[in-house]
Parts: sequence; structure tokens; C-alpha cells
Amino acid sequence: MGEAKNMHILSKEDFSEFINSLIADNSLNVVGVKSKGTKFAFGPLESADQLRLDYDVTLLPPKKYFFPQRETLVTYDVASGYQNKSLADTKPNIIVGVHPYDIMAILHMDEIFCETKSDPNYLARRNSSVIIGVNIQKMSESCFASSMGCATIDYGYDLMLTDLGNKYAIDVGSHKGADLLNKYSKNVKKALASDIQSVGKKKQEIMNKTQQEFSFSSELIPEMLGKFYEKTNFWEDHSEECLSCGSCVLVCPTCYCFDIMDNPALSLKTGERGRTWDGCLLEDFAKISSGENFRNTKATRYRHRYFKKGKYLFDRFGFVSCVGCGRCSSNCLPDIANPVNLFNDMYAESLKIGIQIDPATVPDVKIKSGDVIDYAPKIATIVKKVPMTANETMFELKLDDGSELGHEPGQFVQVSVFGVGEAPFGVSSSPTKKDTFELCIRKLGNVTSKIHTLQEGDKVGIRGPFGNGFNAELLKGKDLLFVAGGLGIVPLRSLFNYVLDNRSDYGRVILLYGCKEPRELLFGDEILSLEDRKDVEFKSTVDRCPENEVWTRNVGVITTLIPQVDFDPQKTYAIVCGPPIMYKFVIRDLKSQNVPDDHIIVSLERRMKCGVGKCGHCQINQLYVCKDGPVFNYSKIKGIPEAL
Amino acid sequence: MKPKVAFFDFAGCEGDQLQIANLEEEILDLLGQVEVVSFREVMKEHSDDYDIAFIEGSCTRLQDEERLKQIRKNASIVVAIGSCATIGGINSLKNYQNLDDVKKTVYGDKANLFDTYPARPIDAVIPVDAYVHGCPMTKDEFLHVVKSLLLGKKPEIPNYPVCVECKKNENVCAFERGEFCVGPVTRAGCNSCCVNEGTKCWGCRGMVDNPNENSQKEVLVKYGLSVDDAIGKFKLYFGWQGKKK
Repeated sequence: MGEAKNMHILSKEDFSEFINSLIADNSLNVVGVKSKGTKFAFGPLESADQLRLDYDVTLLPPKKYFFPQRETLVTYDVASGYQNKSLADTKPNIIVGVHPYDIMAILHMDEIFCETKSDPNYLARRNSSVIIGVNIQKMSESCFASSMGCATIDYGYDLMLTDLGNKYAIDVGSHKGADLLNKYSKNVKKALASDIQSVGKKKQEIMNKTQQEFSFSSELIPEMLGKFYEKTNFWEDHSEECLSCGSCVLVCPTCYCFDIMDNPALSLKTGERGRTWDGCLLEDFAKISSGENFRNTKATRYRHRYFKKGKYLFDRFGFVSCVGCGRCSSNCLPDIANPVNLFNDMYAESLKIGIQIDPATVPDVKIKSGDVIDYAPKIATIVKKVPMTANETMFELKLDDGSELGHEPGQFVQVSVFGVGEAPFGVSSSPTKKDTFELCIRKLGNVTSKIHTLQEGDKVGIRGPFGNGFNAELLKGKDLLFVAGGLGIVPLRSLFNYVLDNRSDYGRVILLYGCKEPRELLFGDEILSLEDRKDVEFKSTVDRCPENEVWTRNVGVITTLIPQVDFDPQKTYAIVCGPPIMYKFVIRDLKSQNVPDDHIIVSLERRMKCGVGKCGHCQINQLYVCKDGPVFNYSKIKGIPEAL
Repeated sequence: MKPKVAFFDFAGCEGDQLQIANLEEEILDLLGQVEVVSFREVMKEHSDDYDIAFIEGSCTRLQDEERLKQIRKNASIVVAIGSCATIGGINSLKNYQNLDDVKKTVYGDKANLFDTYPARPIDAVIPVDAYVHGCPMTKDEFLHVVKSLLLGKKPEIPNYPVCVECKKNENVCAFERGEFCVGPVTRAGCNSCCVNEGTKCWGCRGMVDNPNENSQKEVLVKYGLSVDDAIGKFKLYFGWQGKKK
């Protein structure tokens, strides 16, 4: 066994010397478990005497050393733009006393922060860190790590300590660990067979020890959750006392959601953009600036937490992202956050009502890790500003570095205004327009209101393009039925104009466009001139026409236009975008015209914040709108309850 | 043109204006961005020509409403500063008592010479554009709000409870230390300053938009408070908010 070969022994005195010589090296940041009141916390070590390796659990998990509670991502200067904050001078962390469940949690975080696009700040700190684990000596009352198979661990650490009375057995798990031990310790001995046996016995004891445990196998969790999604009463009963305080998720070693915020200096000319931990249990987590909150009840937020840990991450990565540390339950004042209680209740309920639950098949996971995330926006200049309605303005932008945006129709960008913040907008121009791109922005929140005060020549920041657009290639040769409601015309226009610029590649092109009142019509002249085109069929409608306005076309909601066009559902792809309420009705009517599910393409709006599938704000069930969308094929999301 | 700002006080201790006077080196940076035209605590000049009015204190008399309305007319932005102004503050404690008794307690046999009515926050009288909560407000949040307003931005004030900041600051929960804390229903933004110092949250920033008051009371009782005392915990700062519901 690998363990036997790499097992060493240090007397407790020599171990203290080892830690003290690490501390003495100023190029290292040595942290470890110390007492804090009646509890324990990881903190900077001044001496080995402060170490409390007999602790039960720390207040916060050690993830704070890779993903700190608050950190600066970029700095900015109005004169020179945004710049990523350098982590070059970050000292390597030597983290002493990490329990096996927290090591497993770090391994989960590694995958999450590297998936698709990797997070430079997390990785810089993580890669330079050394993890010195310790086998559990005292299990906290709420610990159920054994049930999650995380009470002990055989990998993921650089060194792993086991207390053997007057000495520590040290299992070397990496070259980094071996080098550290070589360089900073004295009197290291090879472990004897009896020591190795003692360690094995200790680990076996820990594995068998439980403070709390499931009444079923944890392998059932993903499938069981799947069968309980719709059981609203179950979730409402369990979350009745939820304070929406977020404690359960903030102390969780595998939670990674964050918020991004700007902090200008008082000069208002420079400042920082930082991120801070956020939580899906908090009331406004999924709220967008129009006021719509996509998870607006305690029960839906509470359910989301369990699903995220127990099902969504399992489906994406092949692991249930809970390590059984028990921090959530010991930090929940009304005592409703304990996963053991919830899942045991769920299991009992499933037996009672006779639901058969099989272990989930572990998905075939192919984690792609690609580019490093660039949090610093590029600078773009507003080259044209065209007011469209009382609240909407079209901005034509050009990147200052002369590069093309290079977007696909349907993709979005994050637009930054110095000191105010960042907000997502679908690009409204076609990629065939090369030098510049257009955004049509409605005045709603802080960023959008501020953008409206900017003038031609003013600068904004741009990140992106992000997400999946409409697959213009795949739509070639097809008849296209565009259905746009209100602001929904904005992302659709990028495809619509692309199609017009490549008109011969496509079949019939039909556009149905509706808004509330005539004065809210966007791209008025451009849109209404379509009526004169022979190669486009265009119909428009308003929900109502006030007496002082003129409207000679259809009056009624957007769905009233659908029966007015005759199309072949087998040859036609419907492309739908509008306010959240619109989708249900439009899709219902398209389906009643026999349009197949996979011929319906929608673009969704959520609170995209990071834009790269990390921060969690735009998540709809298992999908990230920013990364998996915003354009979705209806057949892929029809079974996703939070989508439409 | 630097925006002109003025400070006003109603029923309160002026502790929030004192926080501004205490800004030390940052006060110079602040004065680079705004022109102070009225600030009784630090200067004798006064002008009614201002863009932003900062108002401290709660409204406790009918005749003060007129002055508030005048400020609202003069200012394009009204900011309530400190608990008394933002949520009614501890002045609202008197709202639980008979107002005649309150007057007698305070003014004795001169009680008839004074008017009073239930204490209320500024926004119970005039529309308020921004809030700097806290008793007293913190300098940092005051500057955050000022910077936001100067940038033409609505200040972001958290709508989550103090627990969020407490957890980030890795505090031992006040309940674990035998304290009775109202942090789980109180609006964050103070960086959990009281708990950081080893005490508990008193609720000076008022409640979040949708507090789970029942659950909070049950928690207080579970940890050993009597039902009456648990209800009492909501009176110190939540008097106006609680009654409004």
C-alpha cells in the first residue's frame, strides 16, 4: 500500500519544532486550527502551542484560504480602465489540521472552480497551498461524515497526521508534502509496521463512528430528491421556520456562490470590484432588476439548496456535494438545516407512500476545463446613442483595442459602468456588423440608469460575449418563425438581422412582434419597414392602444398573432423571446399548431452576474443560464420546472 | 459644480452627525466632492439652497412635519441617517406607552407645555430616497451611500440578516454564548459590528423586508427567554416597523 511506504513518525516535540520552523519562514503563511471562545477556527499561527488538533469542527471551513469571504477581483481607474488584481505576491498557505471531510470538500471545490472556465484567484491560492490534514480525534455532535464516506480519506492532502499518543504518524500524500517535511523537520523516522497498524485501526474506528447517520444508503440521495421535487407540502413543512439567514450555506465547505460589487474610492475616479460569499437561501438571491424573483418563497430556496448539493452537482460532476461536516445543522438556529433529519424524513415518507428508489447511476462526467476567467472588462466607447422609447436607448459600441466582439447571435455581454457595477445585456446587432455592436438597454436598475446618462464618446467596460447563442448554422434551410415580446426583440434581432444578411440560406422568415403600447415599440422604423419587404412576413401587435396614440395594426397579446400566420410546423423553427410570463402561452399555442418541441428555441433572462457559470445567481435547477443558455432548445428545458 | 449638502436633526442624539464630524482624514476627501451649506454641529452658517439633505432623528411632534416637508421641497435627494430617522429608532419605545404618562415622566408638571405624538421615521412623513441605517450609523456606510449618490446610483443596502456578516466574520454565534440576539431578522450592513465585539445584535438597523418574526421568537424561547421577553426583544428598535404590519 502507498500509505505504508510513505508513513513517517515525528515525536510531538519534533512536530512542534516542525510547525515552529514553518512559522519562522516569513515567505510562508502558516495557518492552523486554534480555539475561538468555546469553538475552533482556522487562523494564523504564531506558535505551535496554539494548534488544537483535538478540535471537533471549525466555525468556517478552510475554503476561506482559496475563496475568501471578501476579495478584490479587479481594480479600475477611469482614465485607464480595468485591471485584474495581481495575486503574484500571495504567500503560499500552509494549512495545518484539516479534517478529512474538509479535504474532500476542497476536492469538490477544485472541480467546480475549474469546470469550463477556471477561476484564476481560486487556483492561484489553491495551487500554492499545502494541506496538512489530521484524522478526526473528536467528532462534532452534528457530524455525519461517516454517512457520506468522508470521515477518513486516502488522498487530497500533502501530509496527513494521526495522533498516536506521544507521536504523530505522518502520511506523505504528495511531493510537496515530502519536500516540506524534508526541509523543515528534524528526526523524522520511518513508521514501523506497528505504527502503520495503529493508524489503520484509528481510521477504522473513525469510519465506524457516527454522531448522526442516514437510515438508508447515501447513494439513494439523487434519485430520492428527484422523486420529491414536486412534493410542495414536504418542502413547505420543512422550511416553515427558515429565517432566510443563509447561515447553512455560508458555513458550508462546498458552497461557492458569490456576489460581485463595486467599491469606488471617494475621488470616484478609481476603485475596486470585489466578490463576496453569497447564498441561495437569501431572499433576493435570484431577483433581477425588473423586480422578478425567480425563487421567491422560503420553500423553493430551501429545496434549491438540497437539490444543488444532492442532485444538480451529482448530475454535473458525479458526486453529492455534501461531506457530512454538520456545520449547516449546528449553525441553524431553528434547527431545520440538518441534512440527516431531512433525508431521513424523506426516506421515511417515501417508504410510507411506497416510492421505489434505486441508487442513481453515476453520470459519465466529462469535465472540460478551458480558459482562465478574465474578470477585467475591456474598454469600449459609445459611438452612437439613439433613444428608442421613453425608457429604452440603443447604444452602439466599439471596443477600444480595435478587436471585434466576435459574438454569435443570441449571446450576451456584461457591461460595466465605473463605480456603479455590471449588468448583462443581449447583443442586439448581427455578427455580420463587424466593427461595432449594439445594445438596446431599458432603464431599470443602477447600471442601466447610469448608462442612460452617458453620452457618445463615453467609456464603458465589456466582458464577453458569454453563453450559447442561436445556432444559425443549424437553422439553415429552415423556415423561421420569430416571436418577440417587448424587450425580447433585442436578442432576437441579432439573429434576425443575421438571417436577413444571409437571406438565401434560410427558408421563410416570419416575425411576430408585440409590445404593451405603440409608444413602446422598439426599433420602430427598422421594424415597421419590414412590412415593405417581400422576403419577410411581419406582423405586429400591441396589448392595448391608449386613446392618444395611433395604431392601425393588431391589438391583443402576442399569441393572437400566431393563428394569423400559416406555417408548416415540421419545416419551421420558432424562436421565442419575451418577458417571463410570455413563454408559457406562446409555447402552448405553438404546440397546439403541432410545432415539435425541438423546433422551439427560447432565450431566457436571469440574474447573470459572473457570466461564467460560477456565482450561482442565474441557476435554473441544474442549468446555468449564463453558460448553458441563455438560448435553449425547448425540448431540453421543458422538464426543468424553474425554466419557464 | 459640487452638490450642496445640508444636515438636519429632529428627535435624536446627534450621534450620527458626530460620526461625520469624526470622519477625520476622509472628511477632506468628502469636502472635495460636496459643499456643506448647513451643519449645525460643526458650523454656524446656514443656507436653504441645497441638493442633498441628510436628516437625523425621528419625527415625534405634529409641528415637525412642516419642517420636514420644507426640507423635502428644497432638496432633490433626502437621506435619512441613523436609526431614529430610518426606522423610528428607540424613540419608538414610547409608542408602547400611554403618551400622557410619557410626557409626565419626562416633563413632570410642565407636561402640558409640550406636544408629542407616536415617534416615527422620516419616511412616515415625507418620501426618502436613501437610508443610512444604524445606531449610530457607521462612517463606512455613510461614505458608501454618499459615493453612490454622487455616482447617480441607488445605494445597495443589504436585504439579508446580520447572520450573513456574522458567519463571514467567523463569529461564535451569540446564542452559543448565552446571549439573545435579533441578528437573524435584522438588516445587515453593519458588518455584524456588535457581535464582532463579543456582544449581540440589538436590531438597530431595523428588520429585513420579510423577517420570519415567528421563527425568531421561537428561537429566543427555545434558548430560554420567556415569551414576554422574546416579544420585548422586538420593541427596542422594531417599534415602528412592528406596529406598521
